[in-house]
Amino acid sequence: MPDKHISSQFDSELDHVSSRLMEMGGLVESQIQQALYALLLFVEDVADQVIETENRVNAMEVEIDRELSSIIAKRQPTAKDLRLLIAISKATANLERAGDEANKIARMVKSMISTGIYKSLPASELRLTTEMASGLIRKSLDAFARLDTSTALTILKEDDLIDKQFDGFVRKLITYMMEDPRTISPSLDLLFVAKALERIGDHAKNIAELIIYIVKGEDVRHTSLEQIESKLQ
Amino acid sequence: MSNTSSASLTNAIEIRNLDFYYGAFQGLKDVNLDIAENKVTAFIGPSGCGKSTLLRTLNRMYSLYPGQRAEGEIKLYGNNILDKRQDLNLLRAQVGMVFQKPTPFPMSIYDNIAFGIRLYENLSRSDMDDRVEWALTKGAIWNEVKDKLHVSGLSLSGGQQQRLCIARSVAVKPKVILLDEPTSALDPISTAKVEELVSELKQDYTVAIVTHNMQQAARVSDFTAYMYLGNLIEFGVTDQIFLKPERKETEDYITGRFG
Repeated sequence: MPDKHISSQFDSELDHVSSRLMEMGGLVESQIQQALYALLLFVEDVADQVIETENRVNAMEVEIDRELSSIIAKRQPTAKDLRLLIAISKATANLERAGDEANKIARMVKSMISTGIYKSLPASELRLTTEMASGLIRKSLDAFARLDTSTALTILKEDDLIDKQFDGFVRKLITYMMEDPRTISPSLDLLFVAKALERIGDHAKNIAELIIYIVKGEDVRHTSLEQIESKLQ
Repeated sequence: MSNTSSASLTNAIEIRNLDFYYGAFQGLKDVNLDIAENKVTAFIGPSGCGKSTLLRTLNRMYSLYPGQRAEGEIKLYGNNILDKRQDLNLLRAQVGMVFQKPTPFPMSIYDNIAFGIRLYENLSRSDMDDRVEWALTKGAIWNEVKDKLHVSGLSLSGGQQQRLCIARSVAVKPKVILLDEPTSALDPISTAKVEELVSELKQDYTVAIVTHNMQQAARVSDFTAYMYLGNLIEFGVTDQIFLKPERKETEDYITGRFG
């Protein structure tokens, strides 16, 4: 927030809760990175780390919500301040669920390692999608910190790309399963991984929409890209 | 707070190009504003912004003081009340006012209500009783005072005195009720009762309220006007003003950034 409140205590409360959100975002981002590493190299320890980080992420979500409730009760925020606090609350929920998806990926990796057939599957083709999904989360947090609506708009566009890659990957998996029915079980695991990545992209997109809500006061959920673009002009 | 679609609203008061002067000092600058019938309109702004001045022009309270004058037009249902021929007593019966500090007359609760009515109407004893009960009921205080109508109005608590004053202004069946910081001297419970009363009053009356408490404006009003240094900065539907004001000055004020 650029300009200051008369109450500097209020400013520092807003700053504090915003930085907690960034901290939580950092944790989730590292979860996704670890999940990616586990997936590409099939390392079981790393998969376990993702699951451990999950507890910290959950605890942070609860803590941030407590801080938000306390600010709302004490300060009765309005306008931009109110929108910021609502957005932080929703962003933490999205981050927590993105973390859950990373967790899901880690569990799938473990399951694929245990079956042992994973090597014949095109897991590495998910590298690009994984990097995009993790990059989108980071970008959405950066844009949130700077209240940057033009980056928010590019995030919305990039999420569409992830969705397209997901569709392509599903078609590819189907050909594997048709060729060799023994790959069906691990392919399904991989399908869930791809779906989890697609969901992470959706969470980044939700956070990007919240940035537009804070800055413009417009709720752009369930709105087409073209309409959002015209609102931002 | 409620359905405030701007369509199909009747204006009780239309203010056009209103300037107001305290001697040489200009307190209001070219104010244009419509006050919708059966709605609550709140005036907010920092001290000295002109919100109370604006409220006081609506029943020409300022005419009591020499050197104060208003220019422009204030139309109450089409009739310009700034006209020199305007009967001030009649105007104040049509546009009632309640002040920051409760101002009961030093007489019984019953007479507090009956006093104003006797100035305008000649009612029989039983009609007067009915009217007093009606007004006290409208003021949401009947149940608390019905057994002690003949004790002094000054014996009531601050919150009760304020509701008595609201009942007194309702008693003469005004068209508009002006409330000048009606709860700033009251505790939270009495404040909540007065706020509840305001939302009931708007069923029958048009209400304009000046308040320093922005949350109160957000809670009770349908429309909000933000004023600063004698200018009307922004006027709009209350939800809009408190969620997404158009003007940066308004946003700074309601979010507490006013320096």
